[in-house]
Amino acid sequence: MSASQSAVRSRAEAVAVSRTFDWMILFTLFTVVLGGYHIHYMLTGGDWDFWTDWKDRRLWVTVAPIVSITFPAAVQVMLWYRYRLPIGATLCVVALLLGEWINRYLNFWGWTYFPVNMVFPSNLIPGAIILDVVLLLGGSMTLTAVVGGLAWGLVFYPGNWPIIAPLHVPVEYNGMMFTLADLQGYHYVRTGTPEYIRMVEKGTLRTFGKDVAPVSAFFSGFVSIIIYFLWHFFGKWFNKTDFISGEDV
Amino acid sequence: MKLIKDKVAKLSFVALLVTMTAAMFYTPTASAHGEKSQAAFMRMRTIHWFDLNWSKEEVAVNDTMSISGKFHVFEGWPETVDKPEVSFLNVGIPGPVFIRAGSWIGGQLVPRSVSLELGETYDFKVLLRARRPGEWHVHSMMNVQGGGPIIGPGKWVTITGSMSQFTNPLTTLTGDVIDLENYALDSILFWSGLWYAVGVAWLLYWVRRPLFIPRYLAVTSGKAASLISSGDKKVGLIFVVGTILCLGITMGTTNDKYPVTTPLQAGLMRGIKWIEIPAATVEVKVEDASYRVPGRAMQMSLVVTNNGDSPVRLGEFNTASVRFLDADVLEDESGYPDDLLAEEGLTVSDNSPLAPGETRSIEVTASDAAWEVYRLADLIYDPDSRFAGLLFFFDEDGNRQMVKVDAPLIPVFI
Repeated sequence: MSASQSAVRSRAEAVAVSRTFDWMILFTLFTVVLGGYHIHYMLTGGDWDFWTDWKDRRLWVTVAPIVSITFPAAVQVMLWYRYRLPIGATLCVVALLLGEWINRYLNFWGWTYFPVNMVFPSNLIPGAIILDVVLLLGGSMTLTAVVGGLAWGLVFYPGNWPIIAPLHVPVEYNGMMFTLADLQGYHYVRTGTPEYIRMVEKGTLRTFGKDVAPVSAFFSGFVSIIIYFLWHFFGKWFNKTDFISGEDV
Repeated sequence: MKLIKDKVAKLSFVALLVTMTAAMFYTPTASAHGEKSQAAFMRMRTIHWFDLNWSKEEVAVNDTMSISGKFHVFEGWPETVDKPEVSFLNVGIPGPVFIRAGSWIGGQLVPRSVSLELGETYDFKVLLRARRPGEWHVHSMMNVQGGGPIIGPGKWVTITGSMSQFTNPLTTLTGDVIDLENYALDSILFWSGLWYAVGVAWLLYWVRRPLFIPRYLAVTSGKAASLISSGDKKVGLIFVVGTILCLGITMGTTNDKYPVTTPLQAGLMRGIKWIEIPAATVEVKVEDASYRVPGRAMQMSLVVTNNGDSPVRLGEFNTASVRFLDADVLEDESGYPDDLLAEEGLTVSDNSPLAPGETRSIEVTASDAAWEVYRLADLIYDPDSRFAGLLFFFDEDGNRQMVKVDAPLIPVFI
């Protein structure tokens, strides 16, 4: 076979090769995103995602969406502009959560014996679905950033509340009140994570009384919009094919 | 020649692989907590732990044991370490092999960070409940914000039984009896699994069709719009509306199911009560101090004045949790860890009873392998070459007086 000849001999064979290629690329993309996004999220969201006694109604709600909208924005750009696929955000989050569950189960529980009900990851799927569907319906990155980015911040807390609410039930212990999540942090000893490292319930949102979670979520949504724009540009830059000589691809 | 070179290269590669594979099977337990690697001055001039007691050396799963004792917050706290204004009483154990059932300083429960005062002495207790079988090194520990963990002495404790028997029962303020070890786990797995399935369903809807090459060709040939059908948009709408509805409904049902929830509890605890210790009647002035590197011994020239009304003798020098005792005066009966106890490590040039009103110059030598083993000898390389510790004097009735010493130290290399 010469270089000018096709590698396939029929349309059926071409379709089969194309599908094989699809699965190879999808698998590669999934695992690369899993690794990269996981490291990014552990470094930036870290303890807020690791421990239930960090999952508060102010900083967790604010920080986790802001630092997690990054990869979805970048991957959405690539999959939308090159392939018109509105699955970038969901693909990232599904990959991230798979990696996180493997990590929490094998490392946090299997290796160091922290109970899984203390170290489960945050749920990001609802925001990812909204982000992808806004892109699908609007076909605009600007609209996705503004509407999807805001929604990403807003739905984070409701998406996690059914999971963490049981752990915010109060308990009296040795004459003090704790939430069950606080008590998990106290009971299950973390030698390298003293209590003062915990960044929870800090801030000046006192005007809003006990209803600070929606305010935090709005703030998180606004910043998520900005971060979406920023990472959308990273995604665009990363998807350039300038390194291929010859015609523009 | 090339053949030989190739063979050597191949064999070297195989040897490397074999070594790496073998290394994976060698996984010794990491049992220590880095106490020896902490700078000597950190351990000598920050928190002094003493009168420590580990209530048990062997404990069954679900049973409790405690570490109790006192700690003195040293007045000569180093400049390079933040003051203990935000501190947390911790324990140094390899993960949650015990759960911390309670911890107290001065009788006050301290689940959160506390503010400590320089120059004061506090009593403490940490109650532990055994969870994971094994032999564990259990340390007292004080985490100081800006200073790091200041680890106290550690002792080996054995936990027997099976971890599967461990339970952590609690009664919530809403009257539910729960086991915190696996509480709400079903619900966590259900909701996480359900949403994950929704995400996977969205992906499957798209990836079941040809993906990269045909779609790329369509996009580059200006037919991108044909790749999204109205059916796709309808499915997208179903997903997004379903997501939002699901969020609203589950928020409502969750609030109905858990009508009473509270925010996480946080905040610094101040006003921790220290021990009121009467002023020492023994006065000590350090004339000079040196560390003999070859002999692993620290020598101090002290001028001691007894302003009390009964004769006293020097029985112990305690620094960085290492206890140097004069066996004629004091014998340890607390089961203190052997490696931190120099039972005959303290030599005093004249340790006859110091009469009331008497002043005497004495030469005190604290020598033991612990200087080397615990890397305290490294203090000669510290940026602020000083030593510090606690001296304990005893009268004939066994009454004890604690005197702090803090002075420059000169290393002697020959």
